[in-house]
Formats: sequence, structure tokens, C-alpha cells
Amino acid sequence: MEGPKLQVSGLNAYFGSKQVLYDLSLQFPDRAASAIIGPSGCGKSTFLRCLNRLHEEVPGARVEGSIRLDGQEISRLNEVAVRCRVGMVFQKPTPFPNMSIYDNVASGLRLLGVRSRDRLDEAVLASLKQAALWEEVKGNVDAPGIRLSGGQQQRLCIARALAVQPEVLLMDEPCSALDPIATTKIEKLVLELKRTYTVIIVTHNLAQASRVSDHTAFLYLGKLVEFGPTQKIFERPDEALTESYVRGRFG
Amino acid sequence: MPGEGGLGEVPPRRESIERRGSRLRILGRGFHALSAGVAVGWLLLVALLVGVLAWTARSAIRHSGSFLLLGAEWDPNRQIFGAAPFIVDTLLTSLLALLLAVPVALGVAIFLSELAPPRVRDVVSYAVDLLAAVPSVIYGFWAFIVLVPLMAHTVEPDLARTTGGTLLFSGLPLGVDLLTSSLILAVMILPTIAALSREAMRAVPRQLRESALSLGATRWEATRMAVLGPARAGILGGILLGLGRAIGETIVVAMVIGGGRTYPTSLFSPGTTLATIIADDLTSAAPPEVSALVAVGLILLGITLLVNLGARLLIARERKESEEEELPAHSRPRGLLPPPGAEFRGFAHPGGAGEAEAVLAEPVELPAWRRQLQAQLPGRLRRRRALYAAVAVLTLLCTVLALAPLASILYTAVQNGGRAVVTPSFYTDTMAPACNPATEHNCQLGGIGPALQGTLILIGLASLIAIPIGILAGIYLAEYGRNRFARSLSFLTEVMTGIPTILIGTFVFVLFLAEDPSIAASATTGGIALSILMIPLVTRTTEESLRAVPDSVRESARALGFPRHWVTLRVTLGCARGGIVTGALLAASRAGGETAALLMTAQGFQYYSLGLGRPIDSLTLVIFTTFGTPYPNWQEVTWGATLVLLLVMLTIGLATRILFHRHTAGAEVT
Repeated sequence: MEGPKLQVSGLNAYFGSKQVLYDLSLQFPDRAASAIIGPSGCGKSTFLRCLNRLHEEVPGARVEGSIRLDGQEISRLNEVAVRCRVGMVFQKPTPFPNMSIYDNVASGLRLLGVRSRDRLDEAVLASLKQAALWEEVKGNVDAPGIRLSGGQQQRLCIARALAVQPEVLLMDEPCSALDPIATTKIEKLVLELKRTYTVIIVTHNLAQASRVSDHTAFLYLGKLVEFGPTQKIFERPDEALTESYVRGRFG
Repeated sequence: MPGEGGLGEVPPRRESIERRGSRLRILGRGFHALSAGVAVGWLLLVALLVGVLAWTARSAIRHSGSFLLLGAEWDPNRQIFGAAPFIVDTLLTSLLALLLAVPVALGVAIFLSELAPPRVRDVVSYAVDLLAAVPSVIYGFWAFIVLVPLMAHTVEPDLARTTGGTLLFSGLPLGVDLLTSSLILAVMILPTIAALSREAMRAVPRQLRESALSLGATRWEATRMAVLGPARAGILGGILLGLGRAIGETIVVAMVIGGGRTYPTSLFSPGTTLATIIADDLTSAAPPEVSALVAVGLILLGITLLVNLGARLLIARERKESEEEELPAHSRPRGLLPPPGAEFRGFAHPGGAGEAEAVLAEPVELPAWRRQLQAQLPGRLRRRRALYAAVAVLTLLCTVLALAPLASILYTAVQNGGRAVVTPSFYTDTMAPACNPATEHNCQLGGIGPALQGTLILIGLASLIAIPIGILAGIYLAEYGRNRFARSLSFLTEVMTGIPTILIGTFVFVLFLAEDPSIAASATTGGIALSILMIPLVTRTTEESLRAVPDSVRESARALGFPRHWVTLRVTLGCARGGIVTGALLAASRAGGETAALLMTAQGFQYYSLGLGRPIDSLTLVIFTTFGTPYPNWQEVTWGATLVLLLVMLTIGLATRILFHRHTAGAEVT
């Protein structure tokens, strides 16, 4: 087994003078799904947004500490280059409303300078298939992306993120705006994707974390309480706090 | 404690609660009826405005017919009324203004919405709002003193030279012409377009931008991909609203367009627009010409209504769309959903991870072309970031350019009017005799006492009428307005905010001329005209502030057993108080800076007011009547009046901003 895909050490994050993450250190293994759980406001999303340097786009936000992607410090890399390698899917589906399904998926590659129609076709097809959306939209890829249902839109956003072939896929509560059927589909998709990508998923839904992830991190009030194999976290965690959270005693 | 004495005491208490409840209910019903009545009254007033204008214009329309629209000669003495050159000048100046303003305004909007750091954004947004609040008579005065000489001596000769004096740029460069008018109109409508475009861009959800950023877009690319598209309708609406404002603008144009009444031969030709011919001639016109001028007003009304209607429809459509975005995902239309039963196609093994299909196991290695892209990335990125930097600089320049007039106006006003403003007698004296220091000693400064008094009386009168009506109509529209009538009325009110104010003045003047000519020019008519201008503004802000109160607040209050109308009166109005006060203040300040509606109603007066039935002065009228004066002491008074007006506007702007900021601070964070 090679080294971890993402190595976080001593991570502190701030909004203005307010600190939201305290000294986080953990390692995300390659080609596996890791879940981040914790009660609302514990900094889950902020943590995720540090990993592709989106946090620092918020006015007044600051990050300290080290995040290494394949051993490279991401703060030394160009943020655009980082985001090409670390894709992200948001809580609410966010297809670009003025673009067709095809253009949505192709948008990342177009940014990279891909102009060849053949190459784009190929990549769009592959991404839509990978995101398990192709069967539902084929023959209709020129329709606007916002005409899709919520679950389909979310898979469109996953396809869009996959099209640039990132190495890591961040998912910020990707199912919280979806109905149960759409949620099932996304969960199955995560199980597929973790065979190829490093998937990191923030979720409110403990059952979901236990279903899809190999490793789980439990965050509480901006601090990492525990990180380990999902089964262990859910069945015999080391910390009492983790235990009472996964047993549903608070949160 | 009362009520503790057991069950026996409960019935009488309940009875008193019920009595109180029914009293509140009756009060509330009465209030509902009152607000509905006011809303209907407002509608009737608008109908009356159109009706009176049409009625007055009918003899001219019968007399001249289509010559009014197509004829090229305007000679009241021979009763020849052809307004075609005015139509041409109006469209020419406003379209040219649009052409000049839109690129800069979009630059400002992009800078403020997407690129500027928050602190810069706050300050500059405030400055842009101020730019929009500067009264048009001040723009006109500044243009006449600063812009006209610049155009006449530098810009226009240069333009003529570089183009060889061809068609557009031929003739004598006088500075008072169509080109200067277009330029100052562009300066005036720029903040409107910029503010509305910025709003449209801010309304785009943040996650959309972040989606683009996390695909590896630079800030500019994210703006292009995720912001400009969704905001398009709103931006277009803002542009149209700016066009409407340019078409209906009277005062600024009247001060710099020069008054030529034939077809323009070049951009250096002096001209007359639909609005300025009314401003110039209406008060001194004989009945046939009055009718013709009102007919010209109808043409103006038609054009501006069309433009404003288009603008509001675009903005409303966008607002509706962004509201739909807020719906839960699964209640959105499912245009592409496969037929039921096909839901799980593509998932042959709905089991766990172990059973995942091998089909989807993509090669882990990146394909060659993708690796090549990765290798090229640094080089491409340099170019993309250079583009971003270039756009940032360009939009910053646009912002500086947009704010330059404000800086120049403030500078010249302080320089020329600063001494007057710190002289106590300036605020109480009447106009001094005209005085030329070269030939006379002891020139007196004089003052703006009557103008100050007049402005206060006019604003007071107008507020007295407009604020209750506007608030009641706004309450009706927001709280009881879930029917078609209220929706149409709300839309009409929005359109009315864009109606040229000269037409409001014309309406009031003509109405009173027919009813009681002795007070057609008086404080009363001036106050009424200003109130018609204020009502839609107050109504709109009241309605919007009330709509911003979440329904859950209303429902919680009703769940406590309060009758519906009482909830409106106490709970909802209490929540929206800050917004409503702000709206009323802004409307009053708009009225204080208004000139066109006062030209034929208040008409100006050299001395302290002698009563509500007599002509009255105002700060804006002083500036408008003395802006071209050669006498230094009158010039100084004009600048002093300008500075006073500016300072008042600045203060009100700042006050409302603080008030409103406190009011919305909580909402902005989320």
C-alpha cells in the first residue's frame, strides 16, 4: 500500500477572528471512501472546503497548517491546479442554469482548453455513464440541466466534477436535498466511485456514513474526536463522545 | 395572583378575552377596508393622470393628427405642431447615452459583485448609490459649468479633427448639443444600471460560483460561467430601466441640449427632446399649444411606459425564476424523468460494495491526452490568470471612471459654494440684487432663505399626503395582495416609479388650470405633484419590507390566537419598521431633489412664501433658474444651494444606509 492520498496535519481554520477548526490531523487513504460526521456547526463543511482551497475564497477566511496531496503541499500549488485534481459536489445540486446537460459536463474540460468535439463527446459520455445518468438523459443531452429532477441534477453535478478526471472527489452532504430514491442512487454511485477515486463525503446521516464509507472521522466543535475504520467507529469507538453520538444520544 | 382561585373564575375571563378579540377583529376589518380603499384610490389617481392628459391633448390630436408624430415643424404662432424632431432627439440622446453607459456600468457591477474585496465593495457601493441619488439639476449644473467647456474646447474639436468633420461630427462644436446631453445622461443612468446589474448578479446563489471555482475556474471564468448567464434577464431589465430614465429625463437635458428645434444634422447640433419642449414652453403657452404640448407628453408617456413595462417584466421574470430555485429539489418540474418503473435502470446489482459491477471500473491511469493537458496546465494557467488580472483592472477602471463625476461634483461644489455654506446669513437672506464686482463695490452674497423654506414646506406637504397613502397601499399589496387585482396594482406601481416626473408636473398643472387657475402655480400643486412622485416609492418599499417578513412570524402570531388584521398591524409592521422608515426617508429625499415636477407647479418665487395658494421657491428651482448667470454673487448662491442639497442627500443616504444595514445585517450573513 502506497502513502495516503491526502495528509492533513495541524489544520486550523478561521472566519475572521473566529476559529472553526482546531489542530486537525488525519490521513485519507487512496481509493476509499471516508465519511466525516458530526453535529451541525462542528466544522465538517469548512474542513471539506479546506481540502480544495475553497475555504479561502470566503472573505476574511484563513487556513493554517499543512494539507498534502500525494505528498505535495497544496498551499504551494496553484489553487486552480489543486481544484482540477480535487473535485467537489455541493449540498444542493448546482447545475449551471444557462447550460445544457452536455455543456454542464463539458464545462470543466473547456476551462482546461479542450476544444476538440470528439474528445469532449468522449469525456461527456464517459462521465455521464460513470455518474449513472447516461441511461436517463441519452438523446436529450442538449436539454437545459435545470430541467432534470433533483436527484438527476445531483448526478449531473457529479458527472461534471468527474469529467476533468480528478483524483479526489469531495461531497458536501450530497443527499440532504434529495428524496430517498435519489439518495439510494447517489449512495450506490459512491460505492462505485471509491474503486477509482478517493472519495470524502460529509454527511449528517449516520446510516449513510456506515453504508458507504471505509473510514469515518467524527468532528465535534471543530476538533477531531476520532478517526478510524467505519466499522470500528460505529461498533466500538475508543471515545465515549463518539459512542454517544453514533448511538444517537446527541446531535 | 388573579385567576388562581379555581375553575370558577375562568368563564368571565374567557368572555373578556373574546370581547377583546372581537373588538380587535372589527378594528382589523376596518383597517383592511381602509388599506384596500387607499389602494383603489391610488389606482384611480393613475387613471386620472392618463385621463386628464388624454382629455387635454384631444383638441391638438384632432387638429394635427399624425402630423404631431411625423411633422418636422413646431410653430405655436401659426398653430403648427410637428414633434418629429423632438422624438428623433429623444431617441438619439438616450440610445447614445445607453451605448456609453452600459459597458462601464457592467464593469462596475462585475467589479462590485464579483471581484472587489468586501471592504472596498461596501464603500464603493455606497458611492454608487449616492451617484444615483444626486438630483438631476445638480448633474445639469455641473455639466453646464464643467462638461460643456471641456466638450466645446477640447473633446469636440478633437473629434471633428480625427474624423475629418464627417457626418456625425460636423458643424460648429458649441458644447451645448446632443453629444454633451448624451454624455451627461450616460453619467446619470450609469449608477441605475450598475446597481440593478449588481443586484441581479448578487442574486445568483453562491454555490453556483463555488461550483465553477471547484471545477478549476478563475474568478473571472466563474463569473462568466456561473453568474452572467443566470443574471442576464435582470441585467437587461436594469439596462432598459436606465433607457427609460434617459428618455424621460428633463432637467439635465434642458440645461445642456441648446434648444434647436429642427432635425439634427450631426451630434454637434443643439436639440430639443420631448421632455424639454414641455419644460420650456408649457407655463407660457396659450391653450392650443398647451394641448399640443400635452399631446407631446402623451407620446413621451407611451415610449417610457413601453420601455419600463419591458424592463419590469424582465426583472419580474428573473425574480420568479430565482424563487423557483428555492423550491425543494423534488418539487421542481421533471422534464426528463424516465417513465415510472425505469427508475433503477443501470443498477443491475443493487447490493453492497462487494457486488459492484466491473463495467464501471475505469482505468486508473489518466489517458494520454489528459496527462498532456495536465502538463500544459501551468502555461495555460498563466494566460488565464493574466486574463483575470486584465478583467480586474478593466472593471476597476470602469469603477473609477463611474465615480469621477461624483468626485468632480463634490470638488467644484465645495470650491465654489464652500464660503456661502459657512455664512450664516446665506440660510436666511433672500436673493441679493445682481452685482458685478468689476463695476460695483459692496456686492452682497444674498441667500437661499425662501428656497430652504419652500423645499421644507413642499417636502412636508408631499410627505403628509404620500407617506400615509403609500404605507397603506403597500400594506394592502403585501398583506392582502394574494389576488389578481393586487398583483396588477403592484406591477403598475413599479412601472409608475419610472414615469417621467415632468409628466406628473404637467398633469397637476393642467388639472388645476382647468379647475382653479389661480392656484395652478402654488405650494399646494407643487406638494401634490411631489406626493404623486413619492407614493409609488413609499408603496414599493413598504411592500418589499413587509414581504421580507417571513410567513412563519405571521403564523406564529396567529397561532397565539391573534386575529389576522391585528397581526398585520402590530407584529408584521413592527418587524418591517426599519425598511418602511428608510423607504419614506429616501422618497422624501427624492422629492427634495426634484425639479421637473416643480417647474410648472411651484414655479419658484423670489421671496418668502406668502401662503399655500401662492408660488413657492425650492433649492432645485434656484439652481435651475440661475445656473447660467454671469453675476458672481448669483453664481456663488447657486453653488451654495448645490452644496447644501448635496450635503443633505449625503446625510440622508448615510442615515438610511446605517438604518437599513442594521435592519438587514442578520439576513446578509446567511
